[in-house]
Amino acid sequence: MATASEALPRIAEEAIATREPLTPTQLAWRRFRRHKMAMFGLFLLALLIVYAVGGAFVFTEAYANTTDRTLTGGLLHGPSLKHPFGTDPTGRDLLARTIYGGQISLLIGLAAVSVALIVGITVGALSGYYGGWVDSILMRFTEAMLNIPQLFLLIVAAKFLGDKVHNFQAFGREFSGSVIVIIIIIGLDSWMYLARIVRSQFLSLKEQEFVTAARCTGTSNLAIIAYHILPNSIAPIIVNATLGVASAILTEAYISFLGLGVRQPTATWGNMLENANRYLETAPWLWFFPGLLILLTVLAINFVGDGLRDALDPRAMVE
Amino acid sequence: MRNQLFAALSGLMIVSMLLSACAPAATPVPPTAVPPTQAPAQPAQPTQPPPPTNTPVPTKPPAPTATPKPKVARVTFQQEPDSLNPLYSQMWFVYVAHGLFLTTGLLTYNEKNEPIPWIAKEIPSKANGGISADDKVITYKLREDAKWSDGEPLTADDYVFTWQMIMSDKNAVMSRDPYDAYVDKVEAKDKTTLVVTFKEPYAPWQAKIFSPVNATQAIPKHILEPVFQKDGTIDKADWNRNPTVGAGPFVFKEWQSGSHLIFQANPNFWLGKPKLDQVFIKIVPDDAAQLAAMKAGDTDFGVFISYQDMPEIEKMGTFNLVVAKSGYQESWFMNLSTDPKTKGHPALQDVNVRKAIVMAVDREKIIQDLLGGRTKVSATFWEDTPYADPNAKLLPYDPEGAKKLLDDAGWKVGSDGIRAKGGVKLKLRYATTDKDVRKNTQVLVQQMLKDVGVDVELINHSSDLFFAGYADGAPIATGKYDIEEHSTVSNYPDPDIAAWLCKEIPSDQNPSGINSQFICDKELDALFAKQATTVDPAARIPIFYEISKIVNDKVYWSSMWNDPDWWAVSKNMVNVKISGATMFWNAYEWDMK
Amino acid sequence: MGRYIIRRLLQAIPLLFIISVILFVLSVKMGDPLATFGGRTVLKSEDRKRLTRQLGLDQPLYIQYAVWLVGNDWVAMDLNGDGKPDVGEDGKLIYGTRKGVLRGDLGTSFTTKQPVTEMIAQRLPNTLLLMLTSEVVILIFSLVIGLISALKQYSIFDHVVTALSFIGYSMPIPLLAIGLIYVFAVYFKRWGLPYFPTGGMFDPQAGPGWQQTLWHMVLPVTAISLISIAGYSRYVRANMLEVIGQDYIRTARAKGLAERRVVFVHALKNAALPLVTVVGLDLPFLLAGAVVTETIFAWPGMGRLFYDHTTRSDFPVLMGIIMIISVAVVIFQILTDLTYTYLDPRIRYD
Repeated sequence: MATASEALPRIAEEAIATREPLTPTQLAWRRFRRHKMAMFGLFLLALLIVYAVGGAFVFTEAYANTTDRTLTGGLLHGPSLKHPFGTDPTGRDLLARTIYGGQISLLIGLAAVSVALIVGITVGALSGYYGGWVDSILMRFTEAMLNIPQLFLLIVAAKFLGDKVHNFQAFGREFSGSVIVIIIIIGLDSWMYLARIVRSQFLSLKEQEFVTAARCTGTSNLAIIAYHILPNSIAPIIVNATLGVASAILTEAYISFLGLGVRQPTATWGNMLENANRYLETAPWLWFFPGLLILLTVLAINFVGDGLRDALDPRAMVE
Repeated sequence: MRNQLFAALSGLMIVSMLLSACAPAATPVPPTAVPPTQAPAQPAQPTQPPPPTNTPVPTKPPAPTATPKPKVARVTFQQEPDSLNPLYSQMWFVYVAHGLFLTTGLLTYNEKNEPIPWIAKEIPSKANGGISADDKVITYKLREDAKWSDGEPLTADDYVFTWQMIMSDKNAVMSRDPYDAYVDKVEAKDKTTLVVTFKEPYAPWQAKIFSPVNATQAIPKHILEPVFQKDGTIDKADWNRNPTVGAGPFVFKEWQSGSHLIFQANPNFWLGKPKLDQVFIKIVPDDAAQLAAMKAGDTDFGVFISYQDMPEIEKMGTFNLVVAKSGYQESWFMNLSTDPKTKGHPALQDVNVRKAIVMAVDREKIIQDLLGGRTKVSATFWEDTPYADPNAKLLPYDPEGAKKLLDDAGWKVGSDGIRAKGGVKLKLRYATTDKDVRKNTQVLVQQMLKDVGVDVELINHSSDLFFAGYADGAPIATGKYDIEEHSTVSNYPDPDIAAWLCKEIPSDQNPSGINSQFICDKELDALFAKQATTVDPAARIPIFYEISKIVNDKVYWSSMWNDPDWWAVSKNMVNVKISGATMFWNAYEWDMK
Repeated sequence: MGRYIIRRLLQAIPLLFIISVILFVLSVKMGDPLATFGGRTVLKSEDRKRLTRQLGLDQPLYIQYAVWLVGNDWVAMDLNGDGKPDVGEDGKLIYGTRKGVLRGDLGTSFTTKQPVTEMIAQRLPNTLLLMLTSEVVILIFSLVIGLISALKQYSIFDHVVTALSFIGYSMPIPLLAIGLIYVFAVYFKRWGLPYFPTGGMFDPQAGPGWQQTLWHMVLPVTAISLISIAGYSRYVRANMLEVIGQDYIRTARAKGLAERRVVFVHALKNAALPLVTVVGLDLPFLLAGAVVTETIFAWPGMGRLFYDHTTRSDFPVLMGIIMIISVAVVIFQILTDLTYTYLDPRIRYD
């Protein structure tokens, strides 16, 4: 008869054998969770999204864009009970404006990175997979774009496209055409880094056996790129894209400060900073709140990105 | 090897530092004529007996003391001058600087914008024989004692030379107005007699012939003629960047691009050496930097003070706010084009709709809220000049009246609160530049117009796009607006303006036209043609009363507010009088405590 | 090695060509250089007609590009618009005056009528001064902070520095620059403390000089450096941690070498290498100058020159600056590659 000391290890073995192994995603999530700063960043980001999106249920957009007629003694007021963040020079409530401005800022960040992802992945994948003259031409072009100082290209492009797109309506609200212009410009200015990363991933992965195997079974090139190689190179893309959102938000603030960014009537945190430069001492609430919100958002995204980088590090996956 | 890298970097750094520290002194000052003396102010230097003029006279020489601190007046400019040659710049800041180092206008204007003779001994008129009987020949008698800072006399030849340079095809000068269209010839009968012959009687002659107002004052022939003969053009003359010879109370000393300009007192000035030793113009990036400089005591003159900074400046107590009427009016212009390519909203064709739109806006409130109540709405475009009709009436703020006018015109309020007629909504495009105060105005106006059922789309363009030409597809010139707002002026102090003439309508055949409202009013055209050749002010003024009536009644123009220039002058400055037309006209009289 | 350099230089030519075409089209079409010629009002129509002709702006785009590239001193001009080539007083045809970029003539600014090369030469030393100083400050501080953070991993110092670094490179630079001015220039003066100047390169009453320049450089350099130091110090820290974990460091310690020697001679050199090359690649982009910083601190540099002339659509100046920087980037990339080879014997290009 088996003794107790023999039975236990056998039970344990069976238990271990039948338990399913953790997927890479689950492993990554566990590592991410251990990263205290990253979790804090995630939490902060969630709060900010609730603020920007949920806030729309508390204040209507009409409220955010309307002068408060009950104000006396001028239109510019500091924080008060009725206006917790104060008002802007035309008497509009700043709290409500930062809510709607936040929506646009976050939207610009995500959309710009999407544009960069689409272009960057396409260029990088084609370049890395096909090699040869395709690679040469695409890389020449990428290098050319990289050689132009980012800010100069932004300034010139923003000026060139600035007024060419009309205001448009969406979700029952009116947006300035410059929102689209800024998204495209920032996106087209940051795809190069992604392209290079994707290309180097493809270069190393395409020699692997699973690719050869896929070719043998007659999978088309496009399918190999999209379904086999790309998913395996997703880690650095995710990290880069996340940090790219932070960078896009900062770039939007920078460009709006120079007066070339998003125009009236659409508000963003960045273009609220544009006017606030002159009120530094007299109305500090004008720059303090949008500036703080930008800082917190970018900070949160950077924390999360840092955590993702550690969590998705391929070397750690071998553990 | 890393050390070597650092050493190389440090070496580069030190070299650059030396380069830039040396740079200001290295700005080449070409040895043209004998350069003026640069001795620091020495007390007990007797001033020469001033010539008899109607200007104040420096009295006894200053008492000798221990070497006093140099009197340096500091001015802040928010834009970098593009060129100091009057023929190559239309920048207001450059005109300010001209009042320091050039001052070769035949006339100048005082702080009340009244003309006073300057290089000309007196203002030509029929009475003194300066204006011929047929109004086509004007003769100026020049001062005998006027001279350039290098001692050369300033004569009628300099003026003839200036005219030749303006008209030469080899010079890409900014403007030939009015010489190309109106002046037949300019001659020097002798050293002090200048004769200008016109093709037709030209009413605006006073403000526009060799005047500092439109920057066609004289440039030095003895310096620039050799350059023209050698290079074939004066476009690239060194004098344009380093005008070391001028005829003003101060002499140009240096200009470091992006940083500053320095003007030193001119000991050879024909009205006597000025009391100040130096004027230092510092280039700052924007209003906020200017305000910071004012607070830190780093400047004595602040320019273009914005209304929102004024309460703070008054609180500081170290500056006086000075207003200089410059004729500028913050105005509304509506698009009256019917050409399908450039047309405005069809509702604007009805004068009552135009009136209603203006009546729906509480302009006084906007001035109260955004401009601190420091200015007012103008009744006519020619406010603050003798040409303004004192009986002109403003359209009142009357939203109810506006609603009635709109209803009567057939624009009824729809279910969404916006008026419509025949299926067309009353939605207007309201365009302006991206200046802060204008953007804020737009927000308030949008709400006021919404209250009477007019929907407004807000559009902003940067200035260089706003004022661009038809050929470049610029939004205003091609009629992509319904209401546009910007600050503009006639040929102040002269009332002439070309913006409403039929021939100025921009089109494919005429891409340079400036009538971007596309107005063609035969009656108005005839009146403008008449005033242009009516040289006698007494006869000219009534013509402008009639013009003003048409412009106001037909709402071709509407005032948002009177837009004078605001300066902040340090309380340390003495005797500073600023003109709206010729800003620093009395710089030779300034002093500092 | 020589063949490598030549190959890179040859590769650079089509690169520069592509850049110039893209940016030329954007800059020429982005606005109307004549729009601001009228000063505070609109340019008069006759003047606009004349200037369009005199400045060559009525030519089609590809001709304007050709003139920019190769000049027009072999083309007879028609400046008075009468449809016939101009003839001088000596009866000979008058030719254009531009030599084109390929012969070193970057053109003339529309607004100041100065040669573009002259304008850039005036501003370049100022930007170099600011940026090179900033780079040195960034290098030193990043190395020091990153090193200490790595050695004292997870200590309080490390945590504080990490938190500050994150805040540092999440901060929008306009805010940082203006904040610095108000605290250290305006408020310090009010509180009677030794204060920094609000902007410019020197004090009007004192006149220019190297002391003035140094004093005026402090705030702008701080603004530029803080954000980069925040980023790079983390980079150094990460590299340092990786290097310290390597076997050869363990060997060095096992051999009994002093900790200081281990750290500075063995670890730091290898950790610093990537930083030096990253910084080296940054250098030409610094020529672009931090536009916002130069604007806020009224520093007369190239970044501000670019921005000022963008608002006036003065494309010769814009193209001139962009081409110079692009050429500098190519040169610096080659230099960095060579330096890296020199510093790390394992790398060789053929």
